[in-house]
Amino acid sequence: MLHEIADQVFNGITLGMLYILVALGLNVILGLMGVINFSHGSFFMLGAYVAYTLAPHVGFFPSLLLAAAIIGVLGMLFEIFLIRPLYGRIPEYALLLTYGTALIFEQVARRIWGDDAVRYPGLPDWLAGSVNVGSYAFPVYKDVFLVAVTVVILTAVWLIINRTNIGVIIRAGTRDAEMVEVLGINMPFTFTLVFGLGSFLAGLAGALAAPVYAIIPNLASQWIVLTFVIVIVGGIGSFWGAVVGGLAIGILSSLMELVFPPAVELTGFIIMGLVLLVRPRGLFGVEGLFE
Amino acid sequence: MKPDRPWLTLAGIAIALGLLPFFMPDGTLDLFPFAGARLPFHAGFVDLATTILVFGLFAIGFNLLFGHTGELSFGHAMFFALGAYATALFAKGFDVMVGPVHLQFAGSGNALLALAVALTLVALWAWLLARVIVPRSSGIYYSMITLAFAQVIYFIAFHWGDLTGGEDGLQGIPRPEVPGLPPGWLGDGVHFYIAAAVVAFAAIVINYGIVRSNFGSVLRAIRENKQRARFLGYDVEKYRINAFVLSALFPALGGWLWAYFQQSVNPDAGSVDFSGRVVMMSLLGGINSFAGPILGSFVYWDLQNRFARFDRYWPEIIGIVFVFVVLLAPRGITGAVEDLRRYGVGAMVRRSPGRRSERPAP
Repeated sequence: MLHEIADQVFNGITLGMLYILVALGLNVILGLMGVINFSHGSFFMLGAYVAYTLAPHVGFFPSLLLAAAIIGVLGMLFEIFLIRPLYGRIPEYALLLTYGTALIFEQVARRIWGDDAVRYPGLPDWLAGSVNVGSYAFPVYKDVFLVAVTVVILTAVWLIINRTNIGVIIRAGTRDAEMVEVLGINMPFTFTLVFGLGSFLAGLAGALAAPVYAIIPNLASQWIVLTFVIVIVGGIGSFWGAVVGGLAIGILSSLMELVFPPAVELTGFIIMGLVLLVRPRGLFGVEGLFE
Repeated sequence: MKPDRPWLTLAGIAIALGLLPFFMPDGTLDLFPFAGARLPFHAGFVDLATTILVFGLFAIGFNLLFGHTGELSFGHAMFFALGAYATALFAKGFDVMVGPVHLQFAGSGNALLALAVALTLVALWAWLLARVIVPRSSGIYYSMITLAFAQVIYFIAFHWGDLTGGEDGLQGIPRPEVPGLPPGWLGDGVHFYIAAAVVAFAAIVINYGIVRSNFGSVLRAIRENKQRARFLGYDVEKYRINAFVLSALFPALGGWLWAYFQQSVNPDAGSVDFSGRVVMMSLLGGINSFAGPILGSFVYWDLQNRFARFDRYWPEIIGIVFVFVVLLAPRGITGAVEDLRRYGVGAMVRRSPGRRSERPAP
């Protein structure tokens, strides 16, 4: 029994790491631009497919980085050509537009990679094995590599936001983008960069998820709803909200597998309902933001 | 405000409902149904006209919230699904154990009672939800939360197999009998369309009444400026809750028709896909206009039938059309037509409507 609980906790941590990356990507964009990107799940899904396609040709590590970079660039182009014309409109229009593009992305994925799940070709040997600690065997990729990569990326994003000039602009822009622009900062360029960063995180999470989960076109819609739930639980636009929300929902929904399997997919929503009742803006949310 | 000719509007809608099946001889719009040697009316495709009506009702409800109150719900399919499942279970009966409690119902052919049950259930759920959501959120936050709650209904329908039939849903729902007409009258597609058109017309009249009432005006005042509405002495929260509940009843009515029409219900009725569809329909037609949602439902199904024939990835094309509508004509077809009439072709593009400061009056 203890072993099973440990199994589920570690499964949950794996899942939680990916949730954190995706939710953080969405939150960074949401926090600065007040734009909720429904296509964020599509970027995750495309990241997985791109990594799957590239891995046999360029190897594991380059495929990971390339997939994330390609999705990041895609996100920047997306912002320039589709989101930018919507500034000045009510924010709902960005949600509507990105819903439309999510439909398009899903069909494009079906066109290129087919309707059925594809399987990742396989990990390098040193990542495929497991480490034994006492009687417990940790799969290297899921429990060590994924966690390490996520921690590195989180630290990097935290440093960018809190310790660099661009971070100061982002934080100031979150409060009042117009004022920052008046001070002579090129805000549209910053928006594009931030959108690229958010998309990069989604693409990276997708590429990291590719070896663990079956890759199918509706990954996009499954993940976007969960990401919304995590963002609501953690608090809109909050860094630590994404971290705590993602990890909590990952672990608790995995544990639900032991308690009541039919409710696994409902766990996140139950937590969301409870959090909403007690803290309407989420665990780390700020009142009045984006309303 | 446009000239006040309510009877003309309603008569126009009644005529449009009557003629709709004739203009879709093979599932897509045909402007000249009586030309050539073709039959103007194809019984197989009258079902499509019924589908358009059902989704039109669904879109009317959504539009009451988004078009008039200015709140974008991305989860309205939950009310559609609840209405449909309630009807299906009422018609077919059920026999489940909820923990130690044994729930049993034999099923009933009374469609009006089924409607009452469906509406009551949806109204209760919508009211509870609104009590949680409305005071705590607005704007895009509201959209995310409604989407998330809709998923709860979807997953329950999907996983509670004993009650809902799980992924396959419920099949074999008998169509009701109409008193005074021969038994099995509604079994015919054309007859069902006529019945659906009568129900849809009644709902449209009710919606027309709501939109034009003082209540409707307050909703639009809230859409334009919540704070101003509050300072004028209106209990904004109460109006928003009532608008939410009212807007949930139209999809419930649509779900009621849908269950009898399809004679089956499955969890897809509550999916994000269905919620998104109705959002797209309303925007295609035009959210600030009265006929917009039904027109949008018509255009959506027309597009789908046109493209699904040769392209199995047809949602892509609908997505592209939708993206163009959001970017270039955010007030939809009716809005674009109005702009054309008022300002000419060039102005329509230059004006780029839908800006925060110039939301058009309905």
